Amino acid sequence: MTSKPAKTGGDIRSFFGGPGSQPKPPPKANGSTQKQPIELDLSDEEESAVSTSAKTARSTLKRVSLAKAPPPLTTSMRPSPAKAQAPPKAAVEKAGKKALAAPSGKRKSIVIESSEDENDYQSSKPTKKAPRLSKASVASSSKKSRTRKDDDYDDDQRALETDDGDNFIDDDEEEKPKKNRKAPGKSRAAPKPKPAAEKDKLEKPTAKPEPPPKGKHTAVEKEEPTEKPKPKFNWAAKAAARAAGPANPGSKEIPEGQPNCLAGLTFVFTGELSSLAREEAAELVNRYGGRVTGSPSSKTSYVVLGTDAGPSKLATIKKHNLSTLDEDGFLDLIRTREGVLDEKAKAKLEQEKEAIVKAAKEMERRENDAEKENKTKAGAIGRPSPNSAQLWTTRYAPQTMNEICGNKTAVEKLQKWLAEWPKNLQEGFNKPGKDGMGVYRAVLISGPPGIGKTTSAHLVAKLEGYTPIEVNASDARSKKLVMNSTNVSNQSLDGWMHGSGEHTTVAGIDLSSRSVLIMDEVDGMSGSDRGGIGALNQLIKKTRIPIICIANDRTLQKMKPLQGTTYNLSFRKPDSKAIRSRIMSILFKEKMRIPANVVDQLVNGVQCDIRQVLNMLSTWKLSQDNMDFDEAKHLASLNEKYSTMTPWGVLEKLFGPYTFSATSRESLNDKIEYYFHDYSFVPLFVQENYVKTQPAWNKNMEGSMKDLKHLELLDASARSISDGDLVDTMIHGQQQHWSLMPLHAVTSTVYPASQIYGTGGHWGSANQYTFPAWLGQNSKMGALNRQLGDVQARMRSKVSGDKGEIRMTYIPMMTSRLVKPLIDTGSAAVDGVIHLMDEYLISKDEWDTIVEMGVGDNRGDDVLKRITTATKTNFTRKYNNTDHPIPFNRGQDIGASLTRGKTEKPDVEEAIEVDEEPEDEDEDAVPSGRRKKKDPTGIADDKLLKVSKGKAPAKPAKVKR
Amino acid sequence: MSLWVDKYRPRSLEDLHYHPELSARLRSLAGSGDFPHMLFYGPSGAGKKTRVACVLRELFGAGAEKLKIEQRVFLTPSKRKLDVNVVMSNYHLELTPSDVGTYDRQVIQEILKEIAQTQQVDLNAKQRFKVVVINEADQLSRDAQAALRRTMEKYMSNLRIILVANSTSKLIAPIKSRCLLVRVAAPTPEEMESVLAYVAKKERFDLPPEVASGIVAEATGNLRRALLVLEALKMQHPDLNAEKLEIAKPDWETYCTKVADLIVAEQSAQRILDVRAKLYELISHCIPPSLIIKTLADRVVEQVDEALKADIMHWAAFYEHRMRQGNKKIFHLEAWVVKVMSIYKHFMFDIDLTGFDE
Repeated sequence: MTSKPAKTGGDIRSFFGGPGSQPKPPPKANGSTQKQPIELDLSDEEESAVSTSAKTARSTLKRVSLAKAPPPLTTSMRPSPAKAQAPPKAAVEKAGKKALAAPSGKRKSIVIESSEDENDYQSSKPTKKAPRLSKASVASSSKKSRTRKDDDYDDDQRALETDDGDNFIDDDEEEKPKKNRKAPGKSRAAPKPKPAAEKDKLEKPTAKPEPPPKGKHTAVEKEEPTEKPKPKFNWAAKAAARAAGPANPGSKEIPEGQPNCLAGLTFVFTGELSSLAREEAAELVNRYGGRVTGSPSSKTSYVVLGTDAGPSKLATIKKHNLSTLDEDGFLDLIRTREGVLDEKAKAKLEQEKEAIVKAAKEMERRENDAEKENKTKAGAIGRPSPNSAQLWTTRYAPQTMNEICGNKTAVEKLQKWLAEWPKNLQEGFNKPGKDGMGVYRAVLISGPPGIGKTTSAHLVAKLEGYTPIEVNASDARSKKLVMNSTNVSNQSLDGWMHGSGEHTTVAGIDLSSRSVLIMDEVDGMSGSDRGGIGALNQLIKKTRIPIICIANDRTLQKMKPLQGTTYNLSFRKPDSKAIRSRIMSILFKEKMRIPANVVDQLVNGVQCDIRQVLNMLSTWKLSQDNMDFDEAKHLASLNEKYSTMTPWGVLEKLFGPYTFSATSRESLNDKIEYYFHDYSFVPLFVQENYVKTQPAWNKNMEGSMKDLKHLELLDASARSISDGDLVDTMIHGQQQHWSLMPLHAVTSTVYPASQIYGTGGHWGSANQYTFPAWLGQNSKMGALNRQLGDVQARMRSKVSGDKGEIRMTYIPMMTSRLVKPLIDTGSAAVDGVIHLMDEYLISKDEWDTIVEMGVGDNRGDDVLKRITTATKTNFTRKYNNTDHPIPFNRGQDIGASLTRGKTEKPDVEEAIEVDEEPEDEDEDAVPSGRRKKKDPTGIADDKLLKVSKGKAPAKPAKVKR
Repeated sequence: MSLWVDKYRPRSLEDLHYHPELSARLRSLAGSGDFPHMLFYGPSGAGKKTRVACVLRELFGAGAEKLKIEQRVFLTPSKRKLDVNVVMSNYHLELTPSDVGTYDRQVIQEILKEIAQTQQVDLNAKQRFKVVVINEADQLSRDAQAALRRTMEKYMSNLRIILVANSTSKLIAPIKSRCLLVRVAAPTPEEMESVLAYVAKKERFDLPPEVASGIVAEATGNLRRALLVLEALKMQHPDLNAEKLEIAKPDWETYCTKVADLIVAEQSAQRILDVRAKLYELISHCIPPSLIIKTLADRVVEQVDEALKADIMHWAAFYEHRMRQGNKKIFHLEAWVVKVMSIYKHFMFDIDLTGFDE
């Protein structure tokens, strides 16, 4: 085939290998169809030439996406009327391509494209029909021509491609250009001959093996009945769409926009984009200087709509009349928009810049002052340490309240508390004050690392004129040391008042009334610091100087004592915006040129850890003064922090719509990794909750098909979970094949999640995710099983059955003999019941067990409710007032000879328990004098039984735990 | 005032109602003086324990009936305390090691050695050996079974072992080869009916044959169950000749039926959750999961189309097997429920199932 000059170079285009690159093909969907060389059209060309103004593009796109119809369910089953009118465009095009493509033999690479092609049509379809018709004709001609070109290009490309299997960089640029072209007057009719297309059209039907239209073949993404103008060949188009499977990750080229082309714009993403993962899209926006927010507001510049956009978001869009884009529109925007800012934004930027410069100047000045001071002091101290020798974190530590990034209110509270401390001390800490801080002698600052807790504490102390005395994890802080070094008894804490020569000290530093004790890293007081927290708490209760405790996690068990005595100040991670300006100032001062969006990337990459960002930058500064977006990303990823997710978090992630979506970039290993966040709980959570999602795989279906598909997915999941249990048995059984854990991860977690991921199950929804019931049920089963064992043991001398038989046959019978009479006849039946109980050596405990064992109509709780209170009381009283045969004594401890010696002396308490001596139930305080030592009538002559009463005190105690 | 099932339990080999050849053989074995280790196996309620008790009586006389129960405490190597109930007479000792789960080996080793190493002291005893009856032998872990092997040969002079099991499939071959296998088959309906009639006669009431056959059909070869049902029935309806009698099913079976009906009535995610809750209820109340799946499958199969029956049973067997291999029974039980729902729904919508089952 002829080749197109590679000049079009703007697009690095590669074919996208369908199955290979898709994380997960839809189940069974494309099996057969994938093999067919369905054609695609790649477009291309320098559409930059098209230079559509961003505006026009946008407006068209907006219409496009908004009008998108809900996807049809059973497209695969029957052609929808809409489809019937589908234009042959697609078919024609496909046919043509197919014909051309066939010889190339690169089938795999082609498959996915076809869907895009289809998608393209679909997405363009819904624009108003009337205006469309005219456009359509224009478009179609242009398209045909383009098609040819594309094909040529494709082949060309194929020749170049060595491995098309895993090229993600593919683009579907065609879509955008097409749309552009569709804009009025934009058609570029290329001189390609039409006949080719027509010929293709003819070829098509024969060439295309039809994919079996099966219910299971449901392309998840974008399977919409399209309203194409002509009815012919729609089945082919449909088949192609189906074959395409889910949307195509990486199928569209990521355009190179001008730097900062999105500056000043705010984006909101909703729904699922067809080729970009959510994070990628957000990253794109950041890269080009835009901003991404979570939910739309009146300030949002664009809402990018994917499939299944959230209804509430759509409502907001309507309300604020926001501009919307679809994915192509979004990419187009990047491609075409010039980073022009309106006046307001410009002014704002300007302002920001000024502020940055000003802040930097201030730093400079301060540094110079410090330098001078150092110099003047130099004589005294010795060699002055140059400022540049300091860490950035120290050098640029905030010096005023304004310089603190984030947590403004918390810091202000701290300041206020410190300011009022002397007053509160005078008043004895009994006036809570407006925010209730007045009663606390200490505060506990908690929050993640690197957000300025220590810095704030020091700064506030300094600003309030206090001298901070810091005791941190580098100091031993055991109980003894805390008590001694800080004089917890406070006897001499006011030594300074007496003006004597002895000053009290903390950690060797003189105390004055203007000292504040900063107990840093309190949660690090462990191990060797035994008792330290308790001592600290003691200190806090009496202290006459303010104490600021700092910890990362105040919920720890060992922090408990401090909860009551300290005011809790939680520091949160500041958002990247708050950090950005500060960082920018520092960068300016350091003469590094790093754009704001790159800083954002860095900051977000380390989860807003200011300290870490500064450290990273100071290291970077050693080699380079610039940093671009990708470098920032790389640097951030190198410094990534790993945190363990809770099972809830894992569930949210795995069952959520993104992890398994076609656009997800997470590999199987990444998904397995989720399991390892908590490998004992995650599988249980999955099992408990896999039924509770609305799967993504069937979201485009309706009615019974949808239910059916859902059940199929559940079946696949349940089966895999069942597999998982078998694997688990091998891991935790006798053999302990721990190497099977990844397999367990897949069978118990990843595969089920891949089937039923989707939406739903969120907090507050009808089917919200719940904690695994298995744990509770299992322990309940264990408990009941033990009790059943007791019942069986007691009945053993009468009954031959094993535990199972007791449960299956005796208990239902026993219920009717032991419980029903109490319900039906009340107190009159008590004697009979007790008699039967004695007959079978069942005690009151076992009676309770028998009741509890019931299911269904015999459910324990229900049954108990049906017995009147009077009967119950009567029953209990009577039972306790009579003596009962005891089936057995505890024998000698066969395996316990070692411990026997130790517990030789009788232990009355236990012996009584051992002998099952009936004890007074709480229900009635019966004078218990009578019940003991009474002749057990009717039992005395029973040689099979040992009546234990009276034996108790003499019996050696059993092994005590 | 015991329940009839216990009241009319045969005490001696002569009193046994069915399997006369077996009784005769047991009698001659007991009389031969060369009593082997034995393994009684057969379904629940067939009369294994009763026969064991009769054999013991035949061996040792009435003394073997004087039972006492002892609770013994064992200490595992990990210092856990285990309570084991031991039923014993002067001549024999009966234990259920499977009560203590994975520690059964401990129990076997300790108790058997203890018994084996002491001689019979009662000079008047008919036999020189003691007998140890091990219940639920098929639930013994492999370790415990291995622990039995050598002991069985080494202490043959003063120890005989009688194993009681539901099936021999879980017993290792060396054990089986050391025992005389005695199969106690479930009684035939006729035999059961005759037993019921015998009890009715003793209790002096008239048992109409149709009621008897109804009870027998319900009991599925489990004589214990049949007798209990008979008594319950008699208690509820003193006049058994009256109108049509509803034979009461045990609570769990009724409950299983309800669950099965739920499955057939609707197939949806929500219904799976409902069913799961009910299954948990059953399992936690000590109903064996394999019995649940069996009862459910039986009930579901009753209600579905002919074409589905084989499939449903196939999957029930499939998941029942997995249940035995695995740990968390509910996983497999639920997987079966989902499978059945899926199959059923498919069928209802008349959709081709090819490629759906394995």
